[in-house]
Amino acid sequence: MVRSRAERVADWAVYAAMLVLALAFLLPVLWLASLSVRTQAEVFLGAARFIPEAPTLDNFVRVLRDGGFQSYIWNTVKLASLGAAGAVALAAPAAYALSRMAFRGKGPLMLGILSVQMVSGLVVLIPLYRFMDRLGLLESHFGTTLLYIAAGIPVTIWLLKVSFDAVPRSLDDAAAIDGLSRVESFVLITLPLALPGLISAFILNLILNWSQFLIPFIMLSADDKWPISVAIFRFAGSTSAATTQLLAAACLLAILPALAIFVILQRYILAALTAGAVKE
Amino acid sequence: MADQSAHPAKDPLARIAAPAITSADATPVRQRRAGAAARILSGPLPWLLPALGVLGLFYLYPIFEAVRLAFTDARLFDTETQLSMRSISSMVGSSTLGVILRNTLTYTVASVVGQIALGLAIALLVMRAERARLRGTLALRTIVLAAWVIPAIANGIIWQLLFSEAPFGAINSALRLMGVAPVAWLSDPSNAMTSAVIATIWQGTAYSMILLYAALKTIDPALYEAAAIDNARPWERFWFITLPHLRAALVVNAILILIMTLNMFDTILALTGGGPGRATEILSLYAYGTVFQNFELGRGAALSMLLLVISLGLTVVLIALLPRDRR
Repeated sequence: MVRSRAERVADWAVYAAMLVLALAFLLPVLWLASLSVRTQAEVFLGAARFIPEAPTLDNFVRVLRDGGFQSYIWNTVKLASLGAAGAVALAAPAAYALSRMAFRGKGPLMLGILSVQMVSGLVVLIPLYRFMDRLGLLESHFGTTLLYIAAGIPVTIWLLKVSFDAVPRSLDDAAAIDGLSRVESFVLITLPLALPGLISAFILNLILNWSQFLIPFIMLSADDKWPISVAIFRFAGSTSAATTQLLAAACLLAILPALAIFVILQRYILAALTAGAVKE
Repeated sequence: MADQSAHPAKDPLARIAAPAITSADATPVRQRRAGAAARILSGPLPWLLPALGVLGLFYLYPIFEAVRLAFTDARLFDTETQLSMRSISSMVGSSTLGVILRNTLTYTVASVVGQIALGLAIALLVMRAERARLRGTLALRTIVLAAWVIPAIANGIIWQLLFSEAPFGAINSALRLMGVAPVAWLSDPSNAMTSAVIATIWQGTAYSMILLYAALKTIDPALYEAAAIDNARPWERFWFITLPHLRAALVVNAILILIMTLNMFDTILALTGGGPGRATEILSLYAYGTVFQNFELGRGAALSMLLLVISLGLTVVLIALLPRDRR
């Protein structure tokens, strides 16, 4: 098909708009990267040295050598993955029941689970602070992980229900005829077939947990227990202009793992984001 | 798939044949016990209990507890509390609450409208580029989505570095290079809110873009072909075909990001900390400060209940805007 002149002009306008948008979304991160490889002297030259003349990895070396930083990363990995695994493990049976069983009050229950997402973490953390303190769970990774799991459960139930719904029921019926119990048919048939959905849900939880700030910020006051999100916030509050390049390096290192997971597993994340929210 | 053995269902189905045979020689006692367990497990309760237990303990109970605390004069590190209306009356009576609510309204409306408008614009642009088979659409989507993956607390720090009013701040030093006077992005109370909204939109737009892009994909192209035959102008196609078909997706999108924005805490905390003065202090920050800096647990609980009531109220209003068949 030959494209008309007007269409070709429009194509160039679309290209131009795409370029502007790409730059608008890239530049903030590139600026962070630029600051992170500068010497202190070049930081003070601002935008004139967007591409530094004397780039250095010294800032990263200093941040990575810091024992504190290593513990922040380890704490984040631990909290994020245990929280994600716990949320998927607890949500999967519930999602299976909502997908396969008919019972009274199912509709309101599903609506109730959905509306839990409307509740801000702050609303529950204010009363939970004393409750967790009394249980001895304040200042502990165990108690913090429980809250990560709770925060992840509602959205995980919804995601998993959608992927369980996609597994044909006839397989369940065939399994029942073969004498399989509900549990066996859930573990041996539904779960393996819904594996992509389980992976999507786990990864979405992982990324949300990597970003989680409020729960550890309120639960954990000891430096050695902090995940990276709390650590860089505290660091940002204590830095001066002289250490801007170190803050930039630490900040970049904090977001890189999340960005890497995202770029590698984009397909799964998009599936998780759009599941349920958009129907045909 | 031509080869049947490649079907993913084959493996689990093959494995299930084994227990079906062995169950025949199980002892009657075992069978009875297994029968009782199976009967319990065939109902929904044991499946739902673990998840609902956690939600009950960490969501339902705290909400009841927050309501109870709101009617006391509780302080964070004080176990003795008395029933009292003081928390609620001091909350309603304080002149600060008006400022906070106005900030929350400005911040939420501007951020939500901005995210939906920009998200829709990018989604339409990507659709248009894909129709013309232009390259780079996947790259653009990935770049926009990458911003969404950045932790909100890091987002606040990044934008603080960009808006920094030190001589080397990104935007101001770039403006100076172009011969434009620097702007007091964060220290001027009337600019700080705009800066906070920009940072929020930058990060949140990806979510709207992805939801609306997925919804745009579901519109039947035949409708646009028919419109082209009728010589419909682009804005007519947008107004009479695109928008009506997007209505449900737009409302769902609005509900989701409205809740996220109302509850936003991290980005503003790292960017402005609510300042200068109270210029960017929204309800969530105010509730946090009341409890964890002033230790007024009762008043903070009342404020967090106010936040919850506003969230639920606005959600109900938005649900009413959904097309009937989607409610």
